[in-house]
Amino acid sequence: MKLAIETIGLTKRYGSLTAVSKLNLKVEKNTIHGFLGPNGAGKTTTIKVLVGLLKPDEGTFKVLGQEVHGDMPDVRLRMGYMPELPKFPKHLRGWELLDIYGRMYGMTKQERVEQIPKLLDMVGLKGREKDFVGKYSKGMQQRLGIAQALLNEPELVILDEPSLGLDPVGMVEVRELIKEIAKEGRTVFLSSHLLFEVEQICSHVAIINRGELLISDSIQNVSNKLSKPSTMQVEVAKPSNKVVEAVKKLSFVSEVTQDGNKLIIELKTHDDVRAQISQEITKAGEVIVSMSLKEQTLEEVFMQLVTKSQGGRAE
Amino acid sequence: MRKRELSWKTRFWAVVRYELLWNIRKKKFLGVIVVAFALATLSLALPVLLSNMIGQSLSQNPNYVVSTGAGIGGLGMFLFAIVIVMNSISGEFESGTIVPLLTKPVSRTMVFLGKLFAALITLLSAYAVLFIYMAVGGTIVYGLQNNLHLLPLSLFGTILSTFLWIAVVLAIGALSKSSLIAALGTFGIFIALTISSPIISIFSDQAWILNYVPGGGTTGYIAGVKPQTPYVPGIAISTGTDNIAANLINYALYPSSNVTFFKMSALIGQSQQLIELYTESLSIVLLRSIAVALAYIFGFLLISWYAFKRAQMLE
Repeated sequence: MKLAIETIGLTKRYGSLTAVSKLNLKVEKNTIHGFLGPNGAGKTTTIKVLVGLLKPDEGTFKVLGQEVHGDMPDVRLRMGYMPELPKFPKHLRGWELLDIYGRMYGMTKQERVEQIPKLLDMVGLKGREKDFVGKYSKGMQQRLGIAQALLNEPELVILDEPSLGLDPVGMVEVRELIKEIAKEGRTVFLSSHLLFEVEQICSHVAIINRGELLISDSIQNVSNKLSKPSTMQVEVAKPSNKVVEAVKKLSFVSEVTQDGNKLIIELKTHDDVRAQISQEITKAGEVIVSMSLKEQTLEEVFMQLVTKSQGGRAE
Repeated sequence: MRKRELSWKTRFWAVVRYELLWNIRKKKFLGVIVVAFALATLSLALPVLLSNMIGQSLSQNPNYVVSTGAGIGGLGMFLFAIVIVMNSISGEFESGTIVPLLTKPVSRTMVFLGKLFAALITLLSAYAVLFIYMAVGGTIVYGLQNNLHLLPLSLFGTILSTFLWIAVVLAIGALSKSSLIAALGTFGIFIALTISSPIISIFSDQAWILNYVPGGGTTGYIAGVKPQTPYVPGIAISTGTDNIAANLINYALYPSSNVTFFKMSALIGQSQQLIELYTESLSIVLLRSIAVALAYIFGFLLISWYAFKRAQMLE
């Protein structure tokens, strides 16, 4: 397994407050890895350590296979970073800023001339590139932040709360943009406190709370590992005890209750067992009107984890 | 994803460009330039106006330009230093624009040196234009000028003197990460030295101390050379770091002369008496002021570099 990010026992303290505690995080290459946690969980602190803005108090970390110690520009050459609510110098025009940053990445004039208009178009800033950044709205600065993070065609893109401060349309656009970035074979590591955002665009997720990593795996595995068994609701034409008993006998069913025409079936498994259940009901002579499976969402898994880590008290 | 080589030169010039565009677009800087030219124009035009008012023609002065330089005194140097670098480091921390900059593949040392070099270019350009303006204006008002070839020496001295204040502003700014504290702190030092220097210089026999602090220093006289008024024994010179330009010119004109230092005696009747303290060669006075300026510049820049390199982005 090739790793884009690996932290070993990473700890960062602010005085007596431990913002990140013994974090062991692994981010696989070519994935969109969400970094989820409530406000103040330690997401931004972790990211700031990864990009060299903060020094860890303990532990080590590798970025793109290279162990990072102190100020290492050659590591930053291979990555792009968008800070949370990025701020850029107001005196520069949009294209000037990207041009200067491009020079810092060692891009040739030819590369800059090709790449900058492409990125401005991609983030929807085409036509506003000659305006001073000071005239940009918060959303436009956010888009410029994404553009500058992709300028050097990085192997690893780190985005800290990329849709913060965006309007709903902007949020959707940014999510689509992130999916596009990942298609180009890059690793995207993005922090967010928006569960649905992570669920929609990420293949993997790491959940952090109070500086401690609670879980890190693929979204599917996280749901499977932590979610409670699913519940199936089947509406039948004429419910009878015979049907209830028949369904109860199935090995993966733990409980069946009847609510009018509806059978509420508690499952022991996360597997898709709709076919077996419908077969059993039909065999018992019943007609199925509708059937729905209620699975636990990432949000429910997240709340369950966070509440547990806070000693059963949700904040 | 392209592999790029990091060229030191390309990245350094990118930082210089980033900073230069900021310097020349700052409203504060443009304001000081306008004021400096307005004052220079006034100093040239006022004698003409006054002499016309009293009906006398202005006498020719072939040494006007070389003795005046750009007409930038201690306050002028202090103001130029403030407007050029008060935001350079601290301002970027305050606004958050330092975050995207420090996550580019440029080392902090390179960012620091780039900012410093941009300040030097800005200062050199502003002063050079001012010197040329004064040279042309002085020739128009006071006739053909002698020793104009010494002007680059004066320009060098003025830049060196201003750079001391630049180093002070940068150090306070890098330590406090506040532009206001950088400006007010430097202003406090400037005012304290400006007020105390003449008092110590005239009334104390410990005036030599002023040779080792930034500012105007103590006052001495090149004995026997063209006394400016009947009350002083020769050309008055100040020994401090603010007067390197004037002393370079004095040394070029009177290379083997000595400087005598006096203190003011207590009032005897209605007249004051000058008591001779000591005499030393002008070359010593000049070399010492340059050495002291360089030591302060190096010291303060070292402090700013260290504070900048160690700075962590906590917010």
